[in-house]
Amino acid sequence: MFRVRLHGRGGQGIKTASQILGSAAFFSGFQAQDFPLYGAERRGAPIVAFTRINRQNILERGPILVPDILLIGDESLLEDIQAAPLCGADNFTAIFINSSRLPEKLQENYSLSTLPHVLDITSLCVKFLDNGSSTSAAIAAVGARLLGQIEFPALKEAVELELNAQGINSDLRKKNIDLAEEVFQLLTPMEVKERPEKNITSSKLISSEQKPVVLAAPIILEPGNMALRKTGNWRLDRPEIDYEHCNNCLICYARCPDGVIGIKTDGSPEIDYDHCKGCLICAQECPGHFIKTVKESGSWE
Amino acid sequence: MTTLETHYKKIKDLHHEEAVAPGTGLCAGCGGLEGLRLGLKELGNDVLICNAAGCFTLLSVYPFTPLKGSWLYTTMGGPVPAAQGVRDALDIQLSRKTLTEDDNLSIVVVAGDGSSNDIGLGATSAALHRKLDFIYFCYDNEAYGNTGFQLSASSPYGSSTQTTPSVKFHPVGAELNKKNLFDIWRAQEPTYIATVSPREPIDLSNKFAKAKNLVGPRMFICMSPCPTGWGFNPKDTQLIAKLAVDTGIFPIKEYFEGKVIHTKQPRRRLPVEKFLETQKRFSHLFEPERKSDVIEQIQKTVDKYWEPYE
Ligand SMILES: Cc1ncc(C[n+]2csc(CCOP(=O)(O)OP(=O)(O)O)c2C)c(N)n1
Ligand code: SF4
Ligand code: SF4
Ligand code: SF4
Repeated sequence: MFRVRLHGRGGQGIKTASQILGSAAFFSGFQAQDFPLYGAERRGAPIVAFTRINRQNILERGPILVPDILLIGDESLLEDIQAAPLCGADNFTAIFINSSRLPEKLQENYSLSTLPHVLDITSLCVKFLDNGSSTSAAIAAVGARLLGQIEFPALKEAVELELNAQGINSDLRKKNIDLAEEVFQLLTPMEVKERPEKNITSSKLISSEQKPVVLAAPIILEPGNMALRKTGNWRLDRPEIDYEHCNNCLICYARCPDGVIGIKTDGSPEIDYDHCKGCLICAQECPGHFIKTVKESGSWE
Repeated sequence: MTTLETHYKKIKDLHHEEAVAPGTGLCAGCGGLEGLRLGLKELGNDVLICNAAGCFTLLSVYPFTPLKGSWLYTTMGGPVPAAQGVRDALDIQLSRKTLTEDDNLSIVVVAGDGSSNDIGLGATSAALHRKLDFIYFCYDNEAYGNTGFQLSASSPYGSSTQTTPSVKFHPVGAELNKKNLFDIWRAQEPTYIATVSPREPIDLSNKFAKAKNLVGPRMFICMSPCPTGWGFNPKDTQLIAKLAVDTGIFPIKEYFEGKVIHTKQPRRRLPVEKFLETQKRFSHLFEPERKSDVIEQIQKTVDKYWEPYE
């Protein structure tokens, strides 16, 4: 069995990527299982998806704890303790990272035990789709190619099937197929070693004690403590104010849904990067276009 | 004729303090959150929010809250009965002097359009009948957002939702017209009703400032562009909110002392397709071929609405 775990952010197409990969495997004669896992959060928050691929029936259920292939949809996830994409990876695990950096640099900075496979998917998505955050076809193509067991026609059929199911028009489906083909050609299959299968053992049932309801009632007594949660890690692009030209009109401050643009004592706006989700409304709305957008990558140079 | 008393003229006049702390799990670029943020800036922190199940349930995720005031999570149909309960409890305590006027809170209902137009409407009508003293904030993302964007009674004609996709036998998508919640509320003559847009912060803030000092049922409908459900890039939330007003699709108005006044009337309305073409939920009206009849129908409905005022 091949176990593929995909990490990304909501809205990036990770769930669809796991479906495309599953269908491509199915069209290549495998059994496949795919599903996403995400919390209550919306678009932008880290999500994870799984694809299991096997010649025989797949009886295993639940999240993949020890993946054979890890597909990491954007590099900033590696710094995100909530996402923790490397969790459970071992020396058998092949790691793919969407990044514009060199594999050696990534290996060193994130202390990876193996040299990762790297491709700048975001730029390719911009080139083919004019949208850096529609990565589903590209990420699925990476998985299919690295596995080395799926031929391009099966992948093509899967992209067509899954994107059509999402109501994507034929023109855009065609562009996605071209993108998938480009990715397919840029990578070479890796050597996937199949792990020896472990027997599944049962665990003991735990029964919990009944407590008075007040102990369990969720009461929050610390006002505004949501700020402890740093949504800054949702960002794919960072807005940056050009203070030389900004005239402190505060339109950006008024329009930010998350209220993360504060006003400094001198009356100028200031972005709270710990929480800015990167919606880029501020950049879009600044009358003089004095907020530029910069692609986020890891916080190191 | 009573016009809107203007407190605020410029963005710089708005309260600088935020009443909603950052860090919530709502989508990046959520239009409804922007509306709530601006509204609560005005209402302040002495509020008790009764929040119907929906996207905004994500405001508070145990053990975290973005609010400085209190928050009570209710069922989808239950925010107004909850508001009645906490209002009564406060009033009893105030009359027994077990609470002082300083401890008093404004009761605010926060509910989506699904809750407001469908399962919650009966209880709201009952509360309007009883003249419950509360503020109702409906963020209108025109579908059941939290569960994956299914049709609500607020989904507009011609939009595709998860339960009304454009398919061979139903090419239009949603075939019913959006419920007119404003007029349904108005029939019961509450103290105040306003529609607001996140793109009009001054208008919105003035309306909340006005409502804050009134007594009885005070109702808000906030146009809430939803990048996730409507299918557009989050950066365009405010642009789409603006187009909704400029095309006349979303009229900005208030009802007070028996009269309805448009507080922001588009001088020359743009054609509705300027709004429709920005969103994936309407893309079937333009491709593979243009559904002119549907677009015309939408334009006609908007024209008919504005006819008496232009
Ligand atoms: C009686 C009932 N039915 C279904 C649900 C599941 N549910 C939770 S939130 C939601 C959608 C609510 O839609 P809306 O009020 O428009 O708010 P939005 O999600 O768009 O914010 C649904 C159907 C529920 N909580 N209660
Ligand atoms: S991108 Fe701009 S508008 Fe969006 S959350 Fe960040 S600061 Fe606010
Ligand atoms: S909108 Fe632009 S000019 Fe105005 S305060 Fe913000 S950055 Fe400055
Ligand atoms: S789905 Fe829409 S309404 Fe719900 S949180 Fe996201 S943007 Fe806001």
